[in-house]
Amino acid sequence: MPSWQDFQPFVVSGLALGGVYALSGVGLIVLYRATGVVYLAFGAVGAMGALIAWSLINANVQGWVAWLVCVAFAGVVTLGYGLLFGPALAKRDPLVKAVATLGLTLVLFGVMDLLWTTGGGQSRAITLPTDNGGFTIGQVQVTWTQVVGLGAGVAITVVTAAFLRYTKLGTAMRAMANDREITATLGVPVRRVEAAAWLGCGLLGGLAGLLLADLVALDAATLTFLVISSLAAALIARLRSIALTFVAAIVIGLIHDLLTPIQSLSNYRDMTPFVLAAVALLVLSRRRVISLSREEA
Amino acid sequence: MAGTAVRTARVRPRPPLQKPGPGTLTRAAAVAAVLLISLFALPELLSLYYVDAMTQVAVYAMVALGLGLLVGRVGLVSLGQVAVLAIGAWTAARLLFATTLPYPVVLLAAGAVTMALGTLIGLPALRLRGLYLALITLMLAGAITVVLATANFPNGGHGFLGYDASSVHIPPIRRPGIAASDPAYFRYAVIVTALMFLLAGVHIRTRPGRAWAAIRQSEPAALAAGINVTLYKLWAFALASFITGVAGGVLAGAVTYLYSINFPTQDSITLLAVVLMGGVYSLWGAVVAALLLQLLPAVLHNWGVSADWLTILFGLGVLQVLTTAPGGLADQVPKDLARLGRLLRRHLPSGAVSEGGG
Amino acid sequence: MREHRFGGRAAAALVAVIGMLIAAGCSSNSSSTSGSAAAPAPSGTTASTSQCGSKPGVQATGTPIPLGGIVTNQPGTSFADIANMANAYFTCVNANGGINGHPIKYYIETEQTNPAQIAGEAKQLVQTDHVVGIVGNTSIIECSVDHSYWEKLGFAIVDSGIAPECYSTPNSAAVNMGPRYSSDGAVQYALSQHVSKVVFDQSNVPGTGYIAAGPSALAAAAHVPIVQLTENVPISDANSVAIKEVDDAGPNGAVILNFTPPEALVILQAAQKLGLENRVKLWGCSTPCNTDFIAHELGPKWNHKLFVNAELTPPDFTTTPAMNLYKAILARYGHSVSSGVGSFSQMGFAEAEILVHALESVKGAYTVQSVNAAIKGVQGFNTGMLCQLWTYGKYPMHIPNNMDYTVTPDNGQMATAQGCTKISSVDPQIAAYRKVAGVAPAAP
Repeated sequence: MPSWQDFQPFVVSGLALGGVYALSGVGLIVLYRATGVVYLAFGAVGAMGALIAWSLINANVQGWVAWLVCVAFAGVVTLGYGLLFGPALAKRDPLVKAVATLGLTLVLFGVMDLLWTTGGGQSRAITLPTDNGGFTIGQVQVTWTQVVGLGAGVAITVVTAAFLRYTKLGTAMRAMANDREITATLGVPVRRVEAAAWLGCGLLGGLAGLLLADLVALDAATLTFLVISSLAAALIARLRSIALTFVAAIVIGLIHDLLTPIQSLSNYRDMTPFVLAAVALLVLSRRRVISLSREEA
Repeated sequence: MAGTAVRTARVRPRPPLQKPGPGTLTRAAAVAAVLLISLFALPELLSLYYVDAMTQVAVYAMVALGLGLLVGRVGLVSLGQVAVLAIGAWTAARLLFATTLPYPVVLLAAGAVTMALGTLIGLPALRLRGLYLALITLMLAGAITVVLATANFPNGGHGFLGYDASSVHIPPIRRPGIAASDPAYFRYAVIVTALMFLLAGVHIRTRPGRAWAAIRQSEPAALAAGINVTLYKLWAFALASFITGVAGGVLAGAVTYLYSINFPTQDSITLLAVVLMGGVYSLWGAVVAALLLQLLPAVLHNWGVSADWLTILFGLGVLQVLTTAPGGLADQVPKDLARLGRLLRRHLPSGAVSEGGG
Repeated sequence: MREHRFGGRAAAALVAVIGMLIAAGCSSNSSSTSGSAAAPAPSGTTASTSQCGSKPGVQATGTPIPLGGIVTNQPGTSFADIANMANAYFTCVNANGGINGHPIKYYIETEQTNPAQIAGEAKQLVQTDHVVGIVGNTSIIECSVDHSYWEKLGFAIVDSGIAPECYSTPNSAAVNMGPRYSSDGAVQYALSQHVSKVVFDQSNVPGTGYIAAGPSALAAAAHVPIVQLTENVPISDANSVAIKEVDDAGPNGAVILNFTPPEALVILQAAQKLGLENRVKLWGCSTPCNTDFIAHELGPKWNHKLFVNAELTPPDFTTTPAMNLYKAILARYGHSVSSGVGSFSQMGFAEAEILVHALESVKGAYTVQSVNAAIKGVQGFNTGMLCQLWTYGKYPMHIPNNMDYTVTPDNGQMATAQGCTKISSVDPQIAAYRKVAGVAPAAP
C-alpha cells in the first residue's frame, strides 16, 4: 500500500481533473434545469470550438480572438439547435430530448473527423498563456491553467446557483423546467428564456472545450466523450443540485487519480466515474422509484 | 382478482377456420424471399468482401432486434448494447477455446450467460425510469468497456480470463465444422438470425407482446389491468440480452479474432441511431438498421468515401426520426410506397390495371 | 402536427447545409509543422527522380503489375503515409520506364482495426484486384488475422510490422523492427547509460505481453529492476500517468515509452507542465517518437533528455543518393504523405524499393508464384534507409532489421545520439532469428 508521500501528488492532479469534470457537469445541469434537456452534445460543441480556435491560431490569428470564436461558435451552434429542435421536442419525454442531442453529437463528431483528420501521426495542441508559470505544491508543479480550470468550475457553480435563485431570468428558467405551459400562461416570454438558457449553456461548452483541450488533449473523440464522465457527476446529483454536481465531480477526479499508485486497481481507474454514478443511482433508487415527471425538476 | 381478469381475457374465443389475410401472406412471402435469397443467391453472387460484410449485417440485425424490442415494445432505451454484445462474444470465445462443445451449445450458453447478467443488472435498474435508465446503461457500458480493455478477450490462454498476453502466435477462434468457409459461415449466421427473429416474433404475438404493448401505452393503466409490469420489463431485458448474447457468439466465429478496441462506447450510440432510423415498431426495422450500420460503411469504404459522412447521416437521421417520423424507415417506406401507389392509381389512364403498390 | 413535420425536415436540411458550408469554408488538416511534403529538398540534393526507374522519362505503358497493401487508418492511429509513400515511389518508377515497361498498379486498402473488415479486404485484393504481391502492410492486427490466408496462397509479404505474427511467421518480413525490438533498442540505450531502474509504459493494445517480454529480458540480464505499465488509450489523464511513471522510476531511473506519437507527446508535455522532466535520469521512446514534429513540439527542455530509438537512418543529416532520391520523390510525388520526412515515409520508400528490386529480377510472366519467389529471394539488398543489408530468405521467422540508431531532440530536430547498434541477443526472439539467419552485414 503506497504511503501518503506517494498519494500526495495525485491529490493535486486529482483536484485538477475534478475541476475539469465539474466544468462540464455544471454546464449540463444548467441547461437541464432550464429546459429539461440533458445536452449530451456539450462535449462535441466544445471540441469543435477548440479545433476551430486551433485552426485560427495556426493561421496566425490572435490568440484571444480565436478563443472568443471558440466560445461564440459553441454558443451559436447550441442556440441554433435549441431554436430549431427545442420547440419541436418540447412536449416530449426528457429521454427523447436527450437522445435527440445524441443526434447532434454524431453530426458534429462526423464533421470534426472530416475537417480535422487524425491521420499522419501528428497531433494538435492548444496552449494557453496560463500554461507558463504556476506554483509548486510538494513535489508537483501546478500550472495556472489548472487553477483556472478548477476556479472556473467553482465560479460557475456559485454564479449559476445565484443566478437561478435570485434573478428574474433565473427564476423564469426554473419555472419553465418545472412546467413550460403554465409558465407561458403566466406571461413569461418562454421562447426568449429558453434561448437564453441554450445560449448560456453553449457558451459554457465553448469555454469548457477550450480549457479541456489544454488540460486533457485536443482530440475530437476524447473531448466529445469526456462528457460521459462529467455526466456521471451530474447523475450522482440526480440532475438537480449544481453544488452537488460540483462536489461529485471533484470526488470523482480525486478517486480516479488516487487509484493510480495502487497497482492492482490502477488500470481500472478509468471506470471511476461510471461505477460511482451507477452505484449512486442504484442505491438512491432502492428507497423510491426515480422518475422524471414534470414535478421533479 | 387481477389474475382472473387476465385468464378471462385469454379464454375469449377466436373465430375458427379463418383464412390468413392478404397482409399475412405478403409478409410471409417477403420473409421467405429474403431467407431464400440470403441462403442461396447471395453467397454465390457476392464477392468474399461483401459476404464478410453481410455476415456482420446478420450479427447486428440480431443486436438491433434486441434493442428494437426494448425501445419499441417496452419503451426502454439502452445505451449499452454493444457492451452486452461484447459479453456474449467473450463468453463464446472463452468456451470455444476452453472446451470442444458443439457450436449451437456454445451459442446458447453465450446467450444464457448474457441473459443472466442482463437480468441481474436489469433488476435494480428497473426502479429507474426513462432518462435515468438510459443514462445508467451508458454508465454501465462505460464500465464494462474499461474492464474489457484491461482484461482483454480470450485468445487461447489459461485461467479464468483465458488471455495470454505474451502469445507469439494467437490461434483464431474456431468455427463450426460445417461452416468453416466464409460463405458457409454466412449461411450459418443467417439461420441463427432467422431463429432469433422467430423467437422475438413468437414473443410479440403471444402474452408478453400484449403485456409490452399495454406497458408502452401506459404503465399505470397496465398495472391497474393486473399486468405484472416488473416481470414483463425484466422479461424484455432478458430476451434482448439473450438475443444479443447469441449475436456475440456468432460474431466471435465470424471475426475469429476479438479485440476490445472493436467495442467502444460510442458504437452503442451509433447503434441506437440506426435502430431509431430503421424503425422500432417493426421487426424489419432491425434488418434496415443492420444494413445501415454494416453494409453501407462497407460499400462506401470500397468507393473511397469517408465513413464520417455516415456518422453525420445517422445524426441527422436521429433528429429526423425523433421530430417527424417515430416509426423510422421501416414504418415510413411502406407508407411512402402506399402513397405512391395511390398517386399512380389516380393518374394512370383508366383502362390500366394498377392495384399494386401498397 | 403538420407544422412540426415541416419544421423538423427543414431543420434537418438546414443543419446539413450548414455542415456543407463549414466543410467548404474551413481548411482541413495540419501539415504545417514538420517537413511538409510540399517543401523542396534541402540544398545540395538536386537528385532528379529519374533514378527510380531504368528508363528515365519514359512512361510505362504495358500491362500493369497489380500489388496490394493494407494499412490501419483510424482516429489516433494512421499508417496511411507508409502506403502512400510506397505509391509515390511506384508512380515515380512508372514515370521512368516501369518494370521492363510494365507499370505497377498499387491497391491500398485502409482498415479500422476490425478483423472482419481486414479479412474482407485481403480477399478483395486477391479475388477482385488480382494482386500478385503484397507490400506496405502496416496494421495493429492485420498480420494476426491474415497470415494463414497469405501463407496458403503463397504470398511473401514485405511490411512494416507491429503484431508478433509479422516477425514470427515464415511469410512476413518487415523493414522496421516493430514495437518490441524498437522498445528493446530504447531500453538498451538507457541501460547503457547505467540507470538503476527502468519503467516501461506502453499503450494497452493487443500484444502488450509480447512487447514487454523484450525489455524484461534485457533488464533482467543487466540486473536492473523493471516496472511494466500499460495505459488505456486514448489517454484522458496524462498528468496521473506522468506522475506515476516518474515516481516508479526514481531519480536515477529511466522512463521508456511505447506509444503512438500523439499519446507519447501528451505524456511528455504533461511531464513538462508538471515540472517532472528532470526527476528521472533520462526518458526514452520507441520509434514512433522519431519525428521532427515531436522534436519541434517538445521544445529545448528535452534536448539530450529524451532518447528515441530510430529504426531507420536519420534523414536530416544524411545525403546519400538513396536519401536524396527519397526526398526528391517525396517532394514530387508524395502529396498524400502528410507527415513528410520521417520514419513512416522512409519505411514506405524502403518497402517499395525492395519490391521493385524483386520485380526487376522476375523473368517471364508476373504471377503470384514468380513474384513471390523473387521477393523471397531478395538477399543482401541495400535500401539506403537501414543500418544493415536487407534479406528476406526462407526462414521460419523474420527480423531482418535488427540494428539501429538512437536519436535525441536538439533544438527542434532529431540528432543522432548513438550510431548503428545491434539489438541485443538477450531478447530470445532476436537470438532465435540470428541462429537461423546470422547477422547481416552493415550497410556501406
